[in-house]
Amino acid sequence: MESEVFSANSSTVVVAHELKAPLSLMRQLALSLELERDIDRAHQISEKIVVTSDRAIRQVNDLTKIARLDEALFEMEPVNPRMVCDDVVNELWRLFRFNHRELRLEYRNKKRLVVGNRQLLYSVVYNFCLNAMNYGGEELPSIVSISDKYGTKIRIAVRDFGPAIPTKIWREIKDGFVKQPVDIAMRPGSSGLGLYIAAKFTNYMQGDFGLIRHRDGTSFYIDLPVSGQLSLV
Amino acid sequence: MIAIIEDDKGWEDYYQQLLADYDLKCFHDGLAAVQWMDKTVPDLVILDILLTGPTGFAVLNEMQSYPELAKVPVIVVSSVAMSEDELAKYGVRAVFDKGDMMPQDLLKSVQAALEGARNGK
Repeated sequence: MESEVFSANSSTVVVAHELKAPLSLMRQLALSLELERDIDRAHQISEKIVVTSDRAIRQVNDLTKIARLDEALFEMEPVNPRMVCDDVVNELWRLFRFNHRELRLEYRNKKRLVVGNRQLLYSVVYNFCLNAMNYGGEELPSIVSISDKYGTKIRIAVRDFGPAIPTKIWREIKDGFVKQPVDIAMRPGSSGLGLYIAAKFTNYMQGDFGLIRHRDGTSFYIDLPVSGQLSLV
Repeated sequence: MIAIIEDDKGWEDYYQQLLADYDLKCFHDGLAAVQWMDKTVPDLVILDILLTGPTGFAVLNEMQSYPELAKVPVIVVSSVAMSEDELAKYGVRAVFDKGDMMPQDLLKSVQAALEGARNGK
């Protein structure tokens, strides 16, 4: 059952812990807002509260979607991956900026559509980007790319320039897929909740989920079949 | 100098704003902090426990291995529920839960730890 995330105690603890981080930060920011006398700084704090809450709400929404995957409410349709990626980047650029990170787009395929679900693909790319934000360094930007794969698939990938994933964890992801969020699912210190969500949605869309381990970072990707329909954009 | 070891940039920014009157040095992982402390002894360490890479416990253990660093007061601010008694043996002066911490309490604790360090307590 897909809603195993709520049934296993360890997973619930991991999910609760991951959601506690933005909630507790919002609380601290709200408390500091009360003390702030400078209007510009108060505005910055309130903007931080908004982007932090947006992120927490999206995670909760994604977890709700996981519980509803069995109901088959998410239809497969032709989706323009470029528009999805543009929307994700538009939503996340401010959060990246707050975290002193940069997010860039590199489209090698601009026209072709994929077969998938727009909402789920959006969540996959969004979670890849959040993962890149958390683990990428400040010096180099994270890169969202869209490229052809074998002519029959389109690859949407997010590359970060952070610490490399340990071999053991890399093998676990390659071999076992992501069955549930665990304490060190992806990288030390990460619950991997975002990647767990991405893996679930990719599986639902019958896409391929994977990662490429670079010497100076990691690319997480989703491969989806090309749609026969042409983009009008 | 206060060393802040916190891998969440949102929290790091928050500390920089709250502790703007102090000289801060921020680290996103324990390893970089330990390497820095090899050459510089901070007056205080503010430490998260669940970090990217080695956890806060690894940092505490490492600090205990060196006499100069073992004396440095540590304030733990984490989402993991822990008691001060559990961590007292690591030189931890105060433990705050990120979920219910009050900014004023952290400020008081920082001030007390720095004064204590100056007075050799």
